[in-house]
Amino acid sequence: MREWEDIREMLQVSLVKQVHSQLKLTIQLALGSECGVLFGRSGAGKTSLLHLIAGFMPAESGRIVLAGRTLFDSDQRLNMPLRARGIGYIDQRDSLFPHLDTRRNIGFGLQGWAADQARARVQEVADLCGINRLLTRYPETLSGGERQRVGLARALAPRPALLLCDEPVSALDFAARFELLDRLRTIQRVEKLPILLVTHSPAEALAVGDRLFHLEGGTIRAEGPPLQVLTSASLGRHAWREPVRNLIPAFVERQNPADGETVVRLAGDHGLQLTVPYQEAAVGVPLRVVVRSDEILLGLETATSLAGRISARNILPGRVEQIFPHDGEAEVVVRTGDVRWTVSVVAASIPSLHLNPEAEVQLIIKARSCQLLESALDD
Amino acid sequence: MSELDLSPFWLSLRIASLATLLVVATGLPLALVLARGNFVGKGILSGVVLLPLVMPPTVLGYVLLLILGRRSWLGGLLEHALGWTVVFHWSGGVIASAVAAFPLFLLPARSAFEGVEPRLEQMARLLGRTNWSVFASVTLPLAWRGLASGVILAFVRALGDFGATLMVAGDMPGRTRTVSMAIYDAAVLRDDPKTALVFTAMVSTVSVVALVITQTLWARRPRTP
Repeated sequence: MREWEDIREMLQVSLVKQVHSQLKLTIQLALGSECGVLFGRSGAGKTSLLHLIAGFMPAESGRIVLAGRTLFDSDQRLNMPLRARGIGYIDQRDSLFPHLDTRRNIGFGLQGWAADQARARVQEVADLCGINRLLTRYPETLSGGERQRVGLARALAPRPALLLCDEPVSALDFAARFELLDRLRTIQRVEKLPILLVTHSPAEALAVGDRLFHLEGGTIRAEGPPLQVLTSASLGRHAWREPVRNLIPAFVERQNPADGETVVRLAGDHGLQLTVPYQEAAVGVPLRVVVRSDEILLGLETATSLAGRISARNILPGRVEQIFPHDGEAEVVVRTGDVRWTVSVVAASIPSLHLNPEAEVQLIIKARSCQLLESALDD
Repeated sequence: MSELDLSPFWLSLRIASLATLLVVATGLPLALVLARGNFVGKGILSGVVLLPLVMPPTVLGYVLLLILGRRSWLGGLLEHALGWTVVFHWSGGVIASAVAAFPLFLLPARSAFEGVEPRLEQMARLLGRTNWSVFASVTLPLAWRGLASGVILAFVRALGDFGATLMVAGDMPGRTRTVSMAIYDAAVLRDDPKTALVFTAMVSTVSVVALVITQTLWARRPRTP
């Protein structure tokens, strides 16, 4: 598969670094134009690896190649200065320049651009990050989520060849966290930008990742599709205590304020609809429905036989695609039309419902289990 | 009643201004190195540069005389190569008051640079800026309040210097007599309280205004995120 190989060549990292007496990094990693997640416990070396790629500290030996350019090569004694690396970086606390307003923060990396091009680019990334209304504000007047979005816009503006994200949402509240993760996923697709994101949360990894690298004790223990790697990693129940979130793109279909309900249509999903608690939004507005994986029920009855006999407002027919048992539980991937849902059940449900790939099931979702988030983009 | 000769005040202003320039030119890079650098002997260097703060001014002046005097190696070199005699010349006053004022700039300047998060500078580099550009567009704007109060403190200290300047430059009316010496001369040697009072009022006004400015600068320190 030639195409796959090309994709995998965007970032190649091969390095060794004794970070401190307890941590020696030995890393082999390749990333394509996709969102890679560096997952691991604290102290596993995730942040150190990002620092090595960004050039905040040098490796002892190895090689880092990004989009065909060598950033670091110990054999050639090459260590490219930070300014020439073409890397965007956001971290857990914002690093906005406090003396510059949003517009000048975003434009900071555009020195040397023609003025009109720089202005257009600032506007473009401000749109992408949803911060158009904040351009004249100073960082100290912004909320945590807004700051992270400005930081993201600033990192994206110079068109980096790679975006590094060090736990970018760990300081944010729930809505802002998944809003930003969703935005990152959208931006990855729009800008065709490789992203490497550090997290210790399976829920975050699954919300954003195309590919997951499980880092432990300074090396990558496993890599692959996030759900597969996470469920086979024996993380223990505590790692999963934050429920996985399904982030489903949708549009407002109609409003029933009298019944306290909003009806949304799932994007590209054969017109499947979800009834959610009423939220003020114009018909046609794109947004995201967030549903916790452990708040979805799986049923075997047909939709028609359940309708009117259960309080849940949403019954969607689907088909089981994959089942990932782990730690006495199981993550079941169900497809409805074009949308994949992750449903968490206890492991015992799998045999008792005779669940297996290709099984026909109904997703039963209470309206109240659906939350709406502002959408990053109309995508 | 003779016309009051204001030349000591103007000479002091000139000496203090040039001394402040000298202090900033040498102290700015040193403050940055002490704030950011990590090298052997950093502790000793940080101590040595603060010596003028604790040494008696006459001792300081005598050390400068030993270093810059006409019979010293450096003084001789300056005189032969440039025809420049530092001692008993107003330029000696510039050097003496600069040395005395040096720590008063260095201390706030160093802590101003230390207050700028290195993370912000790293981000600026990653956004394509050269080290010089990072300094000019991030470090300096974020440190300027501390630097400005250091400049003002150094200027006021240089303006009022007595002991070190007297040792190096002497007290020659019209040539090296600064305002501090004029006050001493008027009050102690000539019993001319009016001149002493006028000069005292002038120097005090400059000092009070300078202190008010520094206090305002510190009160308006930006909140750090």
